[in-house]
Amino acid sequence: MKKLSGWKARALLGFLLGAALTPLAVCLLSTMMLPAEAQAVGSAWAAGLHVVTPAMAEAFGSVGLAALVQSLLGGLFGAVVAVSTLPFADGGRELVVRSLAHFCATALSFSALLWVCRWLDDPRFIPLWVALLALLYALIWLGRWVGWYVEVMQLRTLLGLDPGPTPLKWRETLPYLPFVLLVCDGLPLVLRWVDRTFVVDVPVLSGLILPYLLLPVAGFCSGVSLGKRQGVCPLYPLACFVCYMPMVWLLFNSSALFHCFMVAIPALMGNVLGWLYRRAVPKKGNV
Amino acid sequence: MKVKMEIEPGRQEPEIIILAGAESAELDRLVQELSGLALDPIPVWRGDQTRRLPQGDFLRFFADGKGVSAQTAEAVYAVRLRLYELEERLDPRRFVRISNSEIVNLEMVTALDLSLTGTIRMTLNGTVTVYVSRRYVKKIKETLNLGRRERT
Repeated sequence: MKKLSGWKARALLGFLLGAALTPLAVCLLSTMMLPAEAQAVGSAWAAGLHVVTPAMAEAFGSVGLAALVQSLLGGLFGAVVAVSTLPFADGGRELVVRSLAHFCATALSFSALLWVCRWLDDPRFIPLWVALLALLYALIWLGRWVGWYVEVMQLRTLLGLDPGPTPLKWRETLPYLPFVLLVCDGLPLVLRWVDRTFVVDVPVLSGLILPYLLLPVAGFCSGVSLGKRQGVCPLYPLACFVCYMPMVWLLFNSSALFHCFMVAIPALMGNVLGWLYRRAVPKKGNV
Repeated sequence: MKVKMEIEPGRQEPEIIILAGAESAELDRLVQELSGLALDPIPVWRGDQTRRLPQGDFLRFFADGKGVSAQTAEAVYAVRLRLYELEERLDPRRFVRISNSEIVNLEMVTALDLSLTGTIRMTLNGTVTVYVSRRYVKKIKETLNLGRRERT
């Protein structure tokens, strides 16, 4: 109960800070970014300084009401950010569920700030900002994970155990890199060359067979193999994606960007499936 | 050094108190040795049968909703003590609490793994899998860092 009160206090402090800092941030940004005629809308509040965007003031009919709504939304965002360490208090399923719930709350409050306060001209840009927020989440999670990894390494050392796998199993993934280079770089080059030797204009091999058959099958099978041997290796799908990327620009154009996903997603699925198989049918020496 | 013994009728457990003018390394060693001598076997039950097993035989002690159980390499037994009472009786150099419901024998740890979701999985004796709460990691490190563990 005492602990819950601690979180409530943090949320309240975050709300107050968010509510106070949001108008200040808008004030600072508006004086730098908005054109002079737009800045005049909020000038009744303080000479030359503006607490809400002109578009928001216009939408709400008055600067006062707009500022109140903006402060409430800023406070909500601040409260959510203030309890951002809560998901990391536990591990396993709780960590995943709480992280997802917290991300949803953050994304919603952030999107509301962006759109209701008219910080963006076009709502179509909101998913882009949410994607950036997701990236930030992934980076924070990675930072926390590295911290946990270091702790476990210390415990292993103190217990006199083997050092264990490398961070994110990068070293264990390395033996599969030549195969990835072969499939994601060598194969497209060869197939593109073969396509050019045909009399027909349609690049059947590099445009159809490669992305819809060869890349998914190769990614999936290699992922299963890696998963069975080493468990989940999150860098493997990423390596497939990154290795194919130069081919998109070298052989095709941006419309072929989906090829990267056609190899990375099956690689991830295969890797997880291989890991599940490894768990279900443990071999001697896997323990 | 004077040694004095007093008999108190009705006392359940012997208690040793050392009176000294100041702390010293010799006194610390004496305390450690006396503490080691005081490590009794743990009484366990299986059905109606009771046994007293040496502490080194145990892999872990855990609360399972019905009570506290003790696991050795061969079997699981019932223990009529609470976890905090066990903590007081067990060798602090060897046993450490890893979660609200579990105490493990560090001598029996054969593997320690971290999952992507931050779960710390500990394997005891190569067969028994338990999960370490991250809230207890600091305490485990302190226990190991203090050098109270005597690995053989």
